[in-house]
Parts: sequence; C-alpha cells; structure tokens
Amino acid sequence: MDIQYMIEIFPQFLSVIPITILIVVLSAVFGLLLSIPVAAIRIRKIPVLSQLMGAYISFTRSTPILLQLFLFFFGLPVLLQLIGFDITNIGAITAAVACLIFFNGAYMSEVLRPAYLAIDKGQHEAAESLGYTPFQKMKRVVIPQMAPIALPGLGNAMIHLIHDSSLVFAIGVVDIMGMATIMSGDTFGMKQVEVFLTVALIYWGISMVSEQIIRLLERRKKRVLRKTGYELKEEEAGYSV
Amino acid sequence: MFDIMTVFESFIEILKVVPKTLFLALIILVLSFTLGAMITYIQSLNIPVVKQVIGVLQSFLRGTPNVVLLYLVYYSLPLVLAWFLGLFNVTFDPTSLNSTAIVIVTFSICYSVFQSEIIRGALHSLDKDQIEAAQSLGYSTTQVLRKVIIPQVMVEALPDTMNAFLIIIKALSLAFLVTVVDIFAQARLVGAQSFSYLEAFVAAAFVYWGICVLLTYVIDKLENRMRRGYA
Repeated sequence: MDIQYMIEIFPQFLSVIPITILIVVLSAVFGLLLSIPVAAIRIRKIPVLSQLMGAYISFTRSTPILLQLFLFFFGLPVLLQLIGFDITNIGAITAAVACLIFFNGAYMSEVLRPAYLAIDKGQHEAAESLGYTPFQKMKRVVIPQMAPIALPGLGNAMIHLIHDSSLVFAIGVVDIMGMATIMSGDTFGMKQVEVFLTVALIYWGISMVSEQIIRLLERRKKRVLRKTGYELKEEEAGYSV
Repeated sequence: MFDIMTVFESFIEILKVVPKTLFLALIILVLSFTLGAMITYIQSLNIPVVKQVIGVLQSFLRGTPNVVLLYLVYYSLPLVLAWFLGLFNVTFDPTSLNSTAIVIVTFSICYSVFQSEIIRGALHSLDKDQIEAAQSLGYSTTQVLRKVIIPQVMVEALPDTMNAFLIIIKALSLAFLVTVVDIFAQARLVGAQSFSYLEAFVAAAFVYWGICVLLTYVIDKLENRMRRGYA
C-alpha cells in the first residue's frame, strides 16, 4: 500500500468529477421530465400507449444497464440514419446520457405512479368542487402531497444513477472510472490496488454527500407531513436493492 | 445495415451460456444470503466496536459502484490471500487465482449487505408473541427457529430475495471486465466474430428480457402459494 501515491493521484480524479456530475445531473433532470408523461399514460391507462409503456418499463428493468449503454452506443447511429440524419458515429457522452435518460425515465415513472395513486380521491374531488383548473389542482393539491411520498424513491434513483454512471467508461467516456483504467495502465499494473481504492473512496464520498442532501430534504418532508397529518410508516425510506 | 437473421443466429449462440450465468448467479445468491444472515446475527448481538465496524463497511459497500469493487477485489484479493496464507507458511501464487472465483467473492460481498437488510426487514415483521407462545409450549431454540421463525420469515424475505437474484444476473454483465463469460460477454464475443455488434446486443437484450419475464412469473406464483398457507 502506497498512501503517498494515492494522495498524488487524487487531484487528477478531481478534474474528471465534473463529467460524472454532468452526466448524472443531465440524466436525472431529463429522466424526471420523461418519467412524467410515462407515469401519466400508465395512470390514465390510455389503451395502446399504456401497454407500450409497460413493455418499455419491463425492458429497462430486465436488461443490465451495461447492455443498454452498448445498445445505445451502436444503435443510435443506425436509428438516426433511418430518419435521415447521417451520423456514422455519435459521441460516447451523448450515447451515455441518452441511455441513462431512457433508463431513468422508466425507473422514476415507477416511483411517481404509486406516489400519485397514494393521494386520496377526495382531495381531487374537493379541488374540483372548488373550481380549480387541472393545472391549479396539480400545483396546489397534487404535487405538494406527492413530493414527500416520492422523495425517498427519487433519492434512491439518484444514488443508483451515480453508481450506474460508473459504467459509461465501458463505451469510452473518460469519467472517474475511465481515468482509473487509464491510470492503472500507465503504471504498468503495479499500483492498481491504490488507484481503485482511491476511486472507491471518491464514489463513497459522492454517495455520502448525496445521501446527506436527501436526508436534509427528508427532514423537511417530515415537518410538512406533520402539518398535513399524514401517518409516516416506519422504514419507509429504506434503500432498496 | 441491420440484419434480423444475424440477430437470430446470435440469439442461439448466446443461449448456450445462459445455464452458466444462472448457475453463477445462484451460487452468489446463496453465498450472499448466508453472509447476510451472519451480518444480521452479528448486528443483533450489539457488540460495541464490531457494530460500528460493520456499519462503516455497509456504508462503504453501498456507496461504491460494483465495477469499482470488482476491480478492487480483482487486484487486491490475490495479494491479500498470498499474504494471509504466507502467515501459515503456505506458498500461494497470486496469479493463479481464478477470475470466476473473484467474481463470486466480489458479488457475494456486495449483495450480502442488501441481503442482510432484507432479512432484518423480514425479522421485524415477525410477531414476537409467536416466539413466546412457542417457548411456552416447551419448544427448544432450534425447534422455534425451524418451526416458527424460518417458515414465516421465508415468506416475507422470498420476493425480495428473488428480486436480488434478478439483480445479480444483471450485475454479472460486469464479469466481462475480468474475462468471465456470461450472457453479455458472450454477446460481445459473438458480435466481434460477425462484426455486427448491434445485432448481438439486441439478441442479448431479448435473452435477458426473457429470463426476467419468466422468473418474475415463477416468483409471483411461488409467493401466492406461500402466502395462501398463512392467510
């Protein structure tokens, strides 16, 4: 063990952390945006579309994220060619972000759907009888109640995303893991343990920070829920596999 | 550009490694379940320092991605083993360690943390009066465990454990990094032979999808049957 070496290589990893964060944030934001229509279609049970979305969710859940990454990396150019864009090779980061948005859209929609369904029917009726427009109802009644229920699931999705983003090095993105594989090659296989231990510590740190942020939000959630009188179930926020 | 026939041919080729992948996943599931049960037991003893150490280890295993852990174990396990066996004057060649063994060790450790959570959750759901009732009937500890605790905890833990099985199958796709051939690695090999990666990956996706749909169906049936007994 060469702790001196670990400290030496640490700054080099710091320079690639923004790439990981960029990928995570982009796919989290657009994944959430994608998951809203998917969840809406599934809740409304729109005939053909609902079955299609069911297949989409089952597909993303049952294939490894690594396989999906490769499918996007090799498949997107072919797909784009079909609709006229002639791009022989798309960037690895584009493919990675597109894939993670696709994956996360399905994952988060399965968080949002039960959260929406958990809201009492009477709440909808009350809002309608007060003459709220659908948008007002969403903003003032549904979302404030949905958010605290969906929060733990969304937090889990975030941590999963951070972990999954470590796989994008497989299609050639130089993120933290990509940097690590380059480095372990540079040292002619002498210091791999140190390199990967450093990477593990960095990911541990990132996960801990995001967990703290989620916990902070959760504390707010408890305060909001106490006001509305919602019964908190024990261990509701457990980290699922 | 995209050839359906190649997809079909790759599909047949990939099917050949499905039994091996399932077997590997099963070994990992059993090992991680055993390890998880041990972790739950040790934690329930509440030994001061040990409890904190396990807590830190759990947080570490949860906070780092599987790839990183796989590489870490891949490079460090042979050295650790050689050092450890050296204490007993057994000579061990670090390069002789099989990479399949490394995959099994890594994932068993990774998922033992999640398994221990599942077991703990299932134990929580058990009614404490049941144990007291059994004790008052004069059951011995093993009898209580065998006839009261395990049947009920199994029903609670089974769906999550089977879910973990699916997750392990998916996680095994990382094994290609250390040259172990599973479904995903086979797809890469097939793709490389025919220069048609996309077709091979589409075929692999269908294989995974099929396995998942089938297993989910079996799990649902099994769970329904087990729940009926206690309804």
